[in-house]
Amino acid sequence: MSEQSALQIRNLSKVFDLGRGRTVQAVQDISFEVEQNSICVLLGPSGCGKSTVLRMMAGLETPTEGDIVIGGHSVDGPGRDRGMVFQAYTSFDWMSVRKNVEFGMKINGVPAPERAERAQRFIDLVGLGKFADAYPSQLSGGMRQRVAIARTLANGPEVLLMDEPFGALDAETRWLMQELMVNVAEETNTTMVIVTHDLEEAIFLADKIVFLSSHPGRLKEEIVPGFKQGKRISDKEKVVKLDGYSDLEAHLMHLMREEGRGVE
Amino acid sequence: MAAQRFFELRKPVGSRQRIVSALGIWAVFFGIWVAATSAGMVNALLVPAPQDVFATTWDLFASRGFASDVLISISRVIGAFAMACAVAVPLGVMMGVFPSIEAIFAPFVSAWRYLPAPSFIPILLMWFGTGEAPKLALLFIGVIFFLITLVMDHTKNVRQELVETALTLGASRPTVVLKVVFPAVLPDITVAMRQMLAMAWTYLVIAEIVASTTGIGAMMMRARRFLKTDEILSGIIVIGVLGLLFDMLFAMLHRWAFPYLRKN
Repeated sequence: MSEQSALQIRNLSKVFDLGRGRTVQAVQDISFEVEQNSICVLLGPSGCGKSTVLRMMAGLETPTEGDIVIGGHSVDGPGRDRGMVFQAYTSFDWMSVRKNVEFGMKINGVPAPERAERAQRFIDLVGLGKFADAYPSQLSGGMRQRVAIARTLANGPEVLLMDEPFGALDAETRWLMQELMVNVAEETNTTMVIVTHDLEEAIFLADKIVFLSSHPGRLKEEIVPGFKQGKRISDKEKVVKLDGYSDLEAHLMHLMREEGRGVE
Repeated sequence: MAAQRFFELRKPVGSRQRIVSALGIWAVFFGIWVAATSAGMVNALLVPAPQDVFATTWDLFASRGFASDVLISISRVIGAFAMACAVAVPLGVMMGVFPSIEAIFAPFVSAWRYLPAPSFIPILLMWFGTGEAPKLALLFIGVIFFLITLVMDHTKNVRQELVETALTLGASRPTVVLKVVFPAVLPDITVAMRQMLAMAWTYLVIAEIVASTTGIGAMMMRARRFLKTDEILSGIIVIGVLGLLFDMLFAMLHRWAFPYLRKN
């Protein structure tokens, strides 16, 4: 166990009870670590249990076996130390953008002046300065995800968990959001775990890719995109042009194919 | 501008055409009514002319104290409806949020829903006599079980992601219910109340016709004894107008209370 890890996933398994004595194993004996201040991407074909792993990290599902350790203690239920952004829009429609971003701090008893200041900081960080007093229903899909990201970050989590956060967005907006996340990670030093099935997204964002195989979800390979030489580059075009990008993409494609075959 | 065809598939009509159409259908209705009565095609005793009905309505209010009957009816509806809401809204929300609460009350509530409220009139009269209590009780019984079910269903429809977002922001269960689920479902609750208020009017008239000496329904039953069809029709018109008025008030309340639902 490294001193530098923010999250340790130890021998994690999850069996879902389908009722009438039938069960399905979604996750089987997965162990890995998420380093402090890193972006860790959980990648894999559909049915590999990557969302289940993330939901267990969030405390929204209980592991059948194994555990998840954050800051020296085992995860037991949801908590503000692990903020989560979902694929579906989760803005609270009855509140302005500002109130949305303040929500977590408000229920956790952060005093009003500090709340306002932090909210403004994160609203600016995600580029919603002009829309702080708008209602979410007046915003586009990408902007609503920005609200969700700002709301989660403003609450000061140790880890930001994201479950296919840009899956519902069009390609152009998705790039912008991915670039935004790289900037946010640099600005805030937040540890992130991002679930995706989008290879490009994984390569662009990840400091480390954890590839899961499907049915049941097992750890297939941990990949560090070495071609980025440990740097985060917030311009997607530059990353795609780097030597080694296409090799890694081809490798991941191969893994995806291998997993997809014979399963359907 | 080219003239739009009358039978145009799913193209909205202009506001002028809408107003003309709406006035037109009522003009036809009253036209037939006036024609039938003035030509002597119907028995004037059973079907009085519309102008006579309106004159009677005016006379009822102006010189025969009908306003007090109307006020009594309104206060019965509002009183019983408020009591029903005070029970149904909290209970319905709790049932929609906590499956354990639903498991207790749902079998009970859905059984009562299939008992027609008017079937309780004889026993209500025996229990409460002929005062205000049996009328309020009938309205209460007639409305509450449907309202509970509607509120519960709407509450269940609040998206799970909103609940999970609040939990991962560190919200306690009471906070989730009060600060997220309840505000999220409130617009739908208002719509359900609007629908149920119409039902409350129906039960009010039944109660007043069957067993009352005051209120709009009682006035109509008195009028029947003296063959005053014009007064009966006045009563029907007043009930209709009041229903429409309350419906519009609810619609205004909805627009005023939930500005974020407006489209830009």
